[in-house]
Amino acid sequence: MGQFIDGPLWAFSLGVFVLGVIWRVVTILIAGNRSDLATAKGSAGKGAIRAVFSRFIPERTVTSRGRIQLIAGYLFHLGLLALLFFAKPHVDFIAERITGLSWSAMPHWAFIVSAEAAFIGLILLWLHRVLNPVTRLLSDLDDHVGSILVFLVMLTGCLALAQSFEPLRLIHLLLAELLLIYFPFSKLMHAFTFVMSRGYTGATMGRKGINA
Amino acid sequence: MARSITLQIDNRNKQHAGWLLLLLLCLFVQPFDTFAKASESRGIPSAVVLNPAAEIWRDVRQREQLTNGTSQVKGVDSGVLINAYGDQWRNFRMQQLIPIGGFLLIGVVIALALFYLFRGKVAIEGGESDKKLLRYTNYEQLIHWFIASIFLFLAISGLIILFGRPVLIPIIGKEVFSIIASACKEGHNLMGPLFLVALILIFIKFVRRNIYQKGDLSWLLRGGGIIGKKHVPSNFFNMGEKTMFWMLVLVGSVVIISGFVLIFPIFGQGREWMELAHVGHAIGAILMISVIIGHIYIGTIGMEGAIEGMKTGYCDLNWAKEHHDLWATKAEQQGEAISNDKVSQLREVSSAQPLGGHVQEE
Repeated sequence: MGQFIDGPLWAFSLGVFVLGVIWRVVTILIAGNRSDLATAKGSAGKGAIRAVFSRFIPERTVTSRGRIQLIAGYLFHLGLLALLFFAKPHVDFIAERITGLSWSAMPHWAFIVSAEAAFIGLILLWLHRVLNPVTRLLSDLDDHVGSILVFLVMLTGCLALAQSFEPLRLIHLLLAELLLIYFPFSKLMHAFTFVMSRGYTGATMGRKGINA
Repeated sequence: MARSITLQIDNRNKQHAGWLLLLLLCLFVQPFDTFAKASESRGIPSAVVLNPAAEIWRDVRQREQLTNGTSQVKGVDSGVLINAYGDQWRNFRMQQLIPIGGFLLIGVVIALALFYLFRGKVAIEGGESDKKLLRYTNYEQLIHWFIASIFLFLAISGLIILFGRPVLIPIIGKEVFSIIASACKEGHNLMGPLFLVALILIFIKFVRRNIYQKGDLSWLLRGGGIIGKKHVPSNFFNMGEKTMFWMLVLVGSVVIISGFVLIFPIFGQGREWMELAHVGHAIGAILMISVIIGHIYIGTIGMEGAIEGMKTGYCDLNWAKEHHDLWATKAEQQGEAISNDKVSQLREVSSAQPLGGHVQEE
């Protein structure tokens, strides 16, 4: 079982993830834009770039009414990003099994802070999703499965932190593989498509001369 | 080939030498053993110091005193060869903390089960009303379930760490337990600091409503209405809830501080501080878990309508009048009671209560 998780299942899940993400991105790109016959009043490119980056800073209404979502959202995403690419076991795993390239891992204290931030963010965001009437209404099974899978991957990773027991590492790897397989077919794709989504809106508005 | 044969002969010689050494050791030890048995049989006290090293090790244990020696190794406790208090701590953990703590927790569960058999579920006397009151905002529900989920994880993992050896090893064996114990230890250490964040959020939001008021003491003296049938007036939170809040804050603070002493040994704390912190951490946690078991009992099977406020934000008007009548009467007079249909509409279709929204307070 351990050899299967470590070998064929890992290769399969990585393949599904890479091909799935490429397929989803390509289908979005080849869908194209509707042609706009009106005379352009501004630059679509500038509008797209502005929208991609300006959306990282929320509007005032968001900061006042959705403070919890905003703070929890940043805590979770930044924490997860740091854990994924700069946790020592991950850096070693990526170098050994995927790229062959290695980079500096973050110190242990930074790992702890990142993990704490990611957990606070994810738990608060999921609770908000199920407790708030609006987000509860907007959420479907995909949202819950995605949140729970990410949570379980993070949790099992932390439970295996001692790196002393192979079964704990395999449970973490198995869940990470399930997440990789699930990823391209879920809303988790926003990790890649947010750039296109923001860019499209920004370009459309930029062409119309609207500072959106 | 010749080298291989030489190696085999060497190994055989080594084996022979090993057996010979073992035999000599047995012969050497045997007279002492015989002497000890002979002494015991003649009624001579057997506390004759046969091993001169025993005196040295007794000195090393520093005669129940904690004395720092000198060492080239620089670090906390590097001058202490054997911590004399370690035995006291270990004995307390194994002989008092684990059995008494275990019996306390089991006792609480049995007491609640008996209470349930005797009293049953406390029903809303007037039945459910067609009106509701907003009791908790989204934000208040959010932080309540946040601390609840963190607490549950810490309680379960902590109990496994504390009681796993006597309770789980006989059932699942040492190998499986070692894996679970390692996972629980890592998870407990990592999730622990989240409890601090959750407790701060809870404290800031709920402290005002948990300050003791006139009438709280009479609620306590009359058993909160659960014992007996007589109605006892109460505010937004009753004396029991307020006491639980302050217990959570004060005992929780002890548990958090002691937890930080245990998981961050970077502030120069030695073993004796860690042992003290462990004792405080475990006693505080067992106390908190016992109280929270009661809290969960009332919220789930103990009382009709009690959990509704934390699940939906709204509570039944009759429930509020029976258990928090001072608050409920005031809220009803101010026109805050709304129909069940309106509540369904607010919760399922229409706009949401903004986060951080305000609940009318006492």
